[in-house]
Amino acid sequence: MTGNRAAAPEGAVRTTVDWQGWTACVAAVAGFVLCLLGWLAGGGGFSVPWAPSLDLRLSFTFDGLSALYGLLATGVGALVFAYGTRYLTEHLEHQRRPMLERWRFWPWMLLFALSMVGLATAQDLVLVFVFFDLTAVCSYFLIGFDRSDREARTSALMAMLVTVVAAVAMLIAAVVLYAVHGTFSIPELLARADSSATTTLAGALLAVAALAKSAQVPLHFWLPKAMAAPTPVSAYLHSAAMVAAGVLVIGRVHPLLARSEAVLTGMLVVGAVSVVVGGVLALRRDRLKQVLAYSTISQYGYIVMMYGIGGKEGTGAAAFYVLAHGVAKSALFMTAGAVTSATGQDRLSELGGLGRRMPVLAVASGVAAATLAALPLTVGFFKDELFFKAALAHGPVTAVLSVLAAVLTFAYIGRFWTTLFLGPPRGEVGTRSGLLVAPVVVMAAVAVAGGVVAEPFTRLAEDAAAVSAGGPVDLSPAYHLDARPENLMALAAWALGVLVLLLPRVTGRVSRAVAVAGERWGPKRAYEVVLHGLDRLSTVLHDREVRDLRTSIAAVLVPAGLLIGLAFAATPTAGAYVVGTVAGADWMILPLLVLVVVTTVVIARSRSRMAVALALAVVGFALAAQYALLGAPDVALVAVVVETMLTLVFVAALSRMPHDEPVPDPAIPLRKRRRKDALSGAVAGLAVFVSVWGFLSQPAPSSVSDEHIRLTPEAHGGDVVTVIVADFRGLDTLVEITVLLAAVAGAATLIRRGKLW
Amino acid sequence: MILAFALVAAVLFGSGAYLLLKRDLIRMVAGIMLISQCAVVTLLASSLTRGQAAIAVRPGDQVSDPLPQALALTALVIGLATVAMLLALVHRAIVVFRTAEQDEIAATESEHEAKLEQERQADREEVEGSPEDEEEPETARDAGRSR
Repeated sequence: MTGNRAAAPEGAVRTTVDWQGWTACVAAVAGFVLCLLGWLAGGGGFSVPWAPSLDLRLSFTFDGLSALYGLLATGVGALVFAYGTRYLTEHLEHQRRPMLERWRFWPWMLLFALSMVGLATAQDLVLVFVFFDLTAVCSYFLIGFDRSDREARTSALMAMLVTVVAAVAMLIAAVVLYAVHGTFSIPELLARADSSATTTLAGALLAVAALAKSAQVPLHFWLPKAMAAPTPVSAYLHSAAMVAAGVLVIGRVHPLLARSEAVLTGMLVVGAVSVVVGGVLALRRDRLKQVLAYSTISQYGYIVMMYGIGGKEGTGAAAFYVLAHGVAKSALFMTAGAVTSATGQDRLSELGGLGRRMPVLAVASGVAAATLAALPLTVGFFKDELFFKAALAHGPVTAVLSVLAAVLTFAYIGRFWTTLFLGPPRGEVGTRSGLLVAPVVVMAAVAVAGGVVAEPFTRLAEDAAAVSAGGPVDLSPAYHLDARPENLMALAAWALGVLVLLLPRVTGRVSRAVAVAGERWGPKRAYEVVLHGLDRLSTVLHDREVRDLRTSIAAVLVPAGLLIGLAFAATPTAGAYVVGTVAGADWMILPLLVLVVVTTVVIARSRSRMAVALALAVVGFALAAQYALLGAPDVALVAVVVETMLTLVFVAALSRMPHDEPVPDPAIPLRKRRRKDALSGAVAGLAVFVSVWGFLSQPAPSSVSDEHIRLTPEAHGGDVVTVIVADFRGLDTLVEITVLLAAVAGAATLIRRGKLW
Repeated sequence: MILAFALVAAVLFGSGAYLLLKRDLIRMVAGIMLISQCAVVTLLASSLTRGQAAIAVRPGDQVSDPLPQALALTALVIGLATVAMLLALVHRAIVVFRTAEQDEIAATESEHEAKLEQERQADREEVEGSPEDEEEPETARDAGRSR
């Protein structure tokens, strides 16, 4: 704060202390401590009504799963935010942007962390949806932080569209489950849901939303694009926030998903495909952050696979994996950011041999890479041990897939680290900042600590898995110096990984082929085609809509009419229509009605305005006669007066107008236009016919009329209608008179050219 | 009778809607008049009871439902007011624009608007100086977009 104030007079170029960033960092540390205390205290929760009429509650519970993701979001958050204070300052300086833009960054970062914690603790499916989308909104603004960069903007939009549109599936699942079980509360749903088609549908929908968020094939393409974000955002998004939100939701509703074997198998397949696609593509990427982005797809593929395997072993291994991956991936992203910041390069082909020039970073990121590659003495070894164990229990195919996954991971992360830090020196190393390296070191220390004493990690993962598995889970990762299958699988993975690493030409060809195929026929292309198609459709519709007044009105009325028509078609109408009886005076009314119909048609078809005026008078007088026959003398009298007046006014107006009749516009074919108008009129008439006939067929059982008739003598009147107008509904009449006066004043002003008097 | 009333209401409304779609302002007014007639017919047709006029009713008499009649009265009078107002408006428009075609009126309107906008632009340029100053941020933004 003081630094900011002191520097202000000397110009905006000078670096100021990023107190917004440090505030966010302190908040994250406080959150971490709170989460830790909450976990050690055994959790707790509260639930207050949110929208009682919709059965929505703000219910939060801090359980094992919340502890894991809460600690991850706040812990990684604190380090990433500290890193970000330095990175963002450099970034803004580099782009010559004012330091004021920090305000466009840190609030979103903080909200990102907050919504992650909220998502981790929420126990109401709709609440989960809200936080789920909140992370997407935050990521939109953070990925698009460099708003002058077109790439950043399209990437932000892509990330938001893919995840938000897929998240709608979650809302649908919530509604489906509510329709069957009558609650949005997740614990209650988990207790009530049984193995049925509905549960399978809801589970599949939930999985779709979660898998899109966790960037699983085929909805993975947004994640590599999202590297357009500043590095702290990438580090956070890949390890603890956005992408983790998907598997968090899977972990939360896992007992529901586990009711259906099909959903579990689907997740297993999607996870395995993501592991392979992400891993193969990561093998030959050139940009640092892209290697890591494809690695994230692959790594979350592991986790989804484990949730697909299910059971206590699968969910336990998945929870442990999330933790270990979060630590390693955030460190690796921050490494990429530190390297790029020091050298100004972001491609592997232009970097190399940094080990001697940046030794601390090399060691720290080496530990992180080893964690990802599951080498012993890091927490990563245990993540793969548990993974292999769960895969072995599931079956031989899964076991082979798991070894393949580990081979790919070893190969791409090995290439990443060795290219960066070993070999001939390439790239200039400029200014180095300790603040960009320190968080990586801390993460590496955590990874090593976990590799030596796995107890805290194991307990956290056990507590989290207890929620997903619906019962206590016992994980016992340890080093065993014997030839058990897990160890053999790990050895095989390392050996094959080294082999892949030593055969860059073969793997390069495969990776490039997959990348080209993905570019040409992949889901990203489908996304672009759909987006452009929608854009074109919207333009066409808009052009049609704004052509003139008629089309603007039609744009509102036609869809509304279609919807009403659909609602009508869906309403049962059998027995709703009554023809009615004809008796007594009705035989005199019927010819009058025929006269009205005929005259109305004459009006519609008439060419002369005077004929229109006179025919309108005929309609009015015929209706007045009909009112008299219906036993409504008051209405008939007023109608006669009104019609007389109107006819006179109409004729007077016509007589004062220029006498030319409208000539048809040659630009528009008259017949076509008339046919269209006639069609619209016919549709309108039909709609009125259907609705008026319907409501006349269903008269109300009683009305207030009886009461009015009874009370009329007390109101000192004989004519009930008069008494209603003057007394019972007197206020209406007062308003009516006001309208009349306003109309008179308006008409008089118009006739007298703007002068009332 | 119910069917007959519904048919009449439908014909009145349909013809009214058809006339409203015409380009001639006079016919549009006629369309509105037909639609308000449709409202009155529907109101009276919705009477729950039929009989003699509800005047000096004695107990046991079969009378027409008075409430729709009261509502119809209101509708008739309001209809008169709106149509009178509309006719005055149309009359004024025809005298000013020398045409009763809404398309032509709209065209004249937009021509007038364009002319006004030109004048406003000229005023602004006079006040703010040369137009080159205004163009600069525009081009800078374009460059940013293309990059």
